[in-house]
Amino acid sequence: MDEEEIEKAVVAYLKKKGFKQTELAFQEEQQHSNNNNSANSQIDPDITKKILSFSQFETGPERYQEEYSKLRSWAYSSLDLYKHELLRVLYPVFIHCFMELVARGHIQEARAFFNSYREDHEMTHLRDLQKLEGVLSPSHLEEMEFAHSIRLSKVNIKMCQYSYDLLLQYLHKTESITMLGIINERINFQVSPGQPGSISDDAEVVTLVASGHDASLINQKEVHWGLLEDSLEERLEKAGGSVPDSEKLDGDPKEGEVEENKKSVEGGKQGASLKKLKKDKVGVATGKSSRTEGSTVATAPRVKPELALPAIPSEVEHSILEDLRNRVQLSNAALPSVSFYTFVNTHNGLNCASISHDGSLVAGGFSDSSLKVWDMAKLGQQTGPSFLQGETDSPTNEHVLGSSGGRRCYTLFQGHSGPVYSASFSPYGDFLLSSSSDSTIRLWSTKLNANLVCYKGHNYPVWDVQFSPVGHYFASSSHDRTARIWSIDRIQPLRIMAGHLSDVDCVQWHANCNYIATGSSDKTVRLWDVQSGECVRIFIGHRSMILSLAMSPDGRYMASGDEDGTVMMWDLSSGRCITPLVGHSSCVWSLAFSGEGSLLASGSADCTVKLWDVTTSTKAPLKDENKSGSNNRLRSLKTLPTKATPVYALRFSRRNLLFAAGAFSKSA
Amino acid sequence: MSIVPKETIEVISQSIGVNNLSPDVLPALAADVEYRIREIMQEAIKCMRHSKRTTLSTDDVDAALSLRGVEPIYGFASGDPLRFKRAAGHKDLFYIEEKDVEFKDVIEAPLPKAPLDTAVVAHWLAVEGVQPAIPENPPPEALAMPSDNRKTEYKEDGVPVDIKVPVKHVLSRELQLYYDKITELTVNRSNPLLFKEALRSLATDSGIHPLVPYFTYFVSDEVARNLNNFPLLFALMRLVWSLLQNTQIHIEPYLHQLMPSIVTCIVAKRLGNRLSDNHWELRDFSAKLVALICKRYGRVYHNLQPRVTRTLLHAFLDPTKALPQHYGAIQGLAALGPGVVRLLVLPNLEIYLQLLEPEMQLEKQKNEMKRLEAWRVYGALMSAAGLCIYERFKFLPVSLSPSTRTFLKSKWKVSTTLSSKRKASLDNMMTQPPAKRLMTDGPTRSMSANSLPVGTQGPAVGHETGVSSAPHGLQHNENMLRASGRREMAGGQGKTSVALDQAWKEDLDAARLLPSLFECFGERMFSFTPSPELSFFL
Repeated sequence: MDEEEIEKAVVAYLKKKGFKQTELAFQEEQQHSNNNNSANSQIDPDITKKILSFSQFETGPERYQEEYSKLRSWAYSSLDLYKHELLRVLYPVFIHCFMELVARGHIQEARAFFNSYREDHEMTHLRDLQKLEGVLSPSHLEEMEFAHSIRLSKVNIKMCQYSYDLLLQYLHKTESITMLGIINERINFQVSPGQPGSISDDAEVVTLVASGHDASLINQKEVHWGLLEDSLEERLEKAGGSVPDSEKLDGDPKEGEVEENKKSVEGGKQGASLKKLKKDKVGVATGKSSRTEGSTVATAPRVKPELALPAIPSEVEHSILEDLRNRVQLSNAALPSVSFYTFVNTHNGLNCASISHDGSLVAGGFSDSSLKVWDMAKLGQQTGPSFLQGETDSPTNEHVLGSSGGRRCYTLFQGHSGPVYSASFSPYGDFLLSSSSDSTIRLWSTKLNANLVCYKGHNYPVWDVQFSPVGHYFASSSHDRTARIWSIDRIQPLRIMAGHLSDVDCVQWHANCNYIATGSSDKTVRLWDVQSGECVRIFIGHRSMILSLAMSPDGRYMASGDEDGTVMMWDLSSGRCITPLVGHSSCVWSLAFSGEGSLLASGSADCTVKLWDVTTSTKAPLKDENKSGSNNRLRSLKTLPTKATPVYALRFSRRNLLFAAGAFSKSA
Repeated sequence: MSIVPKETIEVISQSIGVNNLSPDVLPALAADVEYRIREIMQEAIKCMRHSKRTTLSTDDVDAALSLRGVEPIYGFASGDPLRFKRAAGHKDLFYIEEKDVEFKDVIEAPLPKAPLDTAVVAHWLAVEGVQPAIPENPPPEALAMPSDNRKTEYKEDGVPVDIKVPVKHVLSRELQLYYDKITELTVNRSNPLLFKEALRSLATDSGIHPLVPYFTYFVSDEVARNLNNFPLLFALMRLVWSLLQNTQIHIEPYLHQLMPSIVTCIVAKRLGNRLSDNHWELRDFSAKLVALICKRYGRVYHNLQPRVTRTLLHAFLDPTKALPQHYGAIQGLAALGPGVVRLLVLPNLEIYLQLLEPEMQLEKQKNEMKRLEAWRVYGALMSAAGLCIYERFKFLPVSLSPSTRTFLKSKWKVSTTLSSKRKASLDNMMTQPPAKRLMTDGPTRSMSANSLPVGTQGPAVGHETGVSSAPHGLQHNENMLRASGRREMAGGQGKTSVALDQAWKEDLDAARLLPSLFECFGERMFSFTPSPELSFFL
């Protein structure tokens, strides 16, 4: 405790501030106090430290930048539950830092500061930022109505007690005096006891996010949501020869243009396969149904693939076309048949289930690191009707086991060293991907029953992995807050999508393979461009962690399901929520669109499968974009309860048979 | 300000040996502890969600700890979520109950059954949007919830009326077709192979529960109308049999409708109109049906079996009834088990045989048809009685044999040390002439068992407890023995009827019964006794 130093600091401060009289008075006082030292020695050591540090920190504009960046990174790494409340503080702090810098005349620093953090707030406060951008001198602050009003008023921020405690603790611990000063001066906290408010509960945030500012930059980026040209569906239509060409030009003019450019090229390329299909045409007795459903798909514009797509083996193509021809037409009047695969005796160990596109293979990922695949075609014969009894009295079950000769009736894939969290079949069922908490992804061959590749790239558990609709490529999402794109022939990721503020919990491909969607614990869904790796859409509206995603086959809509049981339907082009589908009472584990996109199926932890009508609701916004979501609420068509089986996975086969899977749980 | 009180930190620090913690550190540590706990829980909840669960388990917490690079907490691994108990008197204090486990019990406990392997089973959750009523799906009652709306509407008026909406039974098209097909097959039986398949389907198909009332009505209706159509009756009974085999359906509520039809098929005067109709077989089959029903549902319907037996007994004891009716009644009673036979048939056997005898003899009954019927009845009676005696023998303990031998040794002397009711009565049995033949055989066999004292001692020890606990019974028993022995001196016929009359008494059992039955049926009876026991009589 050096008194002289303190005195010097105080004097320096007073000088700097131009408080001449105070300075004089202070010096006078100093003379006095020199006479009786006892008074001086009573100064609290804490206070002296504060005074000293205060003089230090007051020095330069770089403090603002430094402290703000610290505060920002702290807020971003805080607990998910409180993160959104803490992030709310950042914006007012940011603009006040900026204005203070301007007010002090550090124009250069102010601009640098503004530009380096501007992106953070563009999404929600674009207009304000555009206004403030023009502030270039202290006088502007006075002149500009907006800036003036901001500087005069205090911002109200609602916070729960714990967030507030965390914030104060942080500011004191790091001695971020500048930030503390701004926060004390400019922000009026309304601390509420109990749990933090929901991200969208807060009226203020809702207005910020949804109403005035939803024309955020990111969501203005162009998204070509159309389907791939030359898709199998399209070929089928052509083979059916029923769709007038004009219908295809319904989309945006721009996309239509692309389409027309392509068409000339595609003519030659496709010739061979078309001829082959034309021969088949004679046998298409079921063509009627496929024709009508084809028309819905046809309305979607066509886009070029951004990735080099793998070639489809001709016999596979053949069988797919056959399936598409035999597809059952579903609508709100014609509901699908649902085949349910129940896992029994899982002993709480089943983490995920996946069903192949034809429903013949079922994979289960277990917490004991194993992956098991059942061939339902082989299993079909020995499936006894008495599985429920098997749970209650073992003799019957043992009998069932005995009938299979005591041998396992599944293929066991071992290789992971941690719980398997996700599995995904390739479109033709010959490969299987699994992701695990050991931070690896493994590729298995269902033909060879062997592990082919181990992809190491993530640093933390990989929550989800999904094959692209054409195979070859796949996407993964992880606890490390990234999503990655891979191709099966490379062990390094092709793209890394970073941007989510918390774990990326689920991932889904767009029908045209040019985009992926990711759902995260930060309660947002993002759409990423696969080619550029950029985020092109952010969907805000969920109130809890996103657990499942599905893309409509026409590529226009996306459904996302969350922890609370809410399903949201999004329009990809506008980035807006069409309507929330409320009905489930617990986590929505899985979502699936029917083959022609008229139905959405959702499977939940409340042991039900729900079927929703997509067509009635999405038709309306096509005609009238301004209409609010309440009028065209998606209709829940049917609720199919299971006995006690939470629904883990759903899959519409190409013929529109719905497969569902789940683990029978006695306690549920 | 933290949910972790300062005192907790103090206690923990002391427990790990840090005593001089300054009081300023406590709140800071408490705040940090709270933050860390929240962080771990946040990660644990993520792990739980990705394991597709809705209850947090210790595994999730371990996974979260390892995510954060912290060593997991050992000793809490369990497949099930932990059960917390609320501490009495505290609002928000919970603990995990830990039971003391005896080491000995754990070691001595039998190995638990190996857990069953995971399997996948498939079923139809919905067919074109409609849930089929199969056991894998929730019961239809649970599905039909919407009727609640109507109830609440009425309640709004303030009058608490509980209105029961009349149950509308909707049969799906598929089920209707199925029913039509099955009934048609049953009536026509044009294709026996197909009919067999239909019966199998009835026995195994899990989705036909809604049809059960229709089938029961069909059966009772057809039986009532077609008593002279033997093949149809038989087909109907087989249909009932198949329905009973089906474990997935719930037939109890319809039994009252089914029982009269089945009993009719047992004791009807005429079944079928042609001589070639093997109505005996139908009666046998129906008797088995009744026995099955009584066995399976007797516990639920406590008056089911008494009613059936009363009906059957009535038919059996009514001399005006035709012989086929008697036959059916006897078969029905026999199918209900040896107990029923012992209680109801044997006491009446003597008199009944006296009635039956003339019918069986060529001289007295000229009508060959009638004679044949009489012999049938005789056969049924014999097998019923025989099975009854067989059953009794089976209950005799194996230790019987050595003791028997000692009896033989002791040359008719009833030794008090070797007394139990059974052995005592065995002694009585030995008095029968055929048994004497065995006598020469006996000693040599027990000689092979070597010393005489051992032979007598062994069983004596074995029965000592029984002896000491019931000396009175023993005394009584001996008296009885003497009495019956005396009666035996008096002559055969009287004794037999006494034995049969006493058949219902517990203390009179197989050994005494056999000779009496032997009186009635002759040597044919022996085919029912198990060979080791029989060897004493031959």
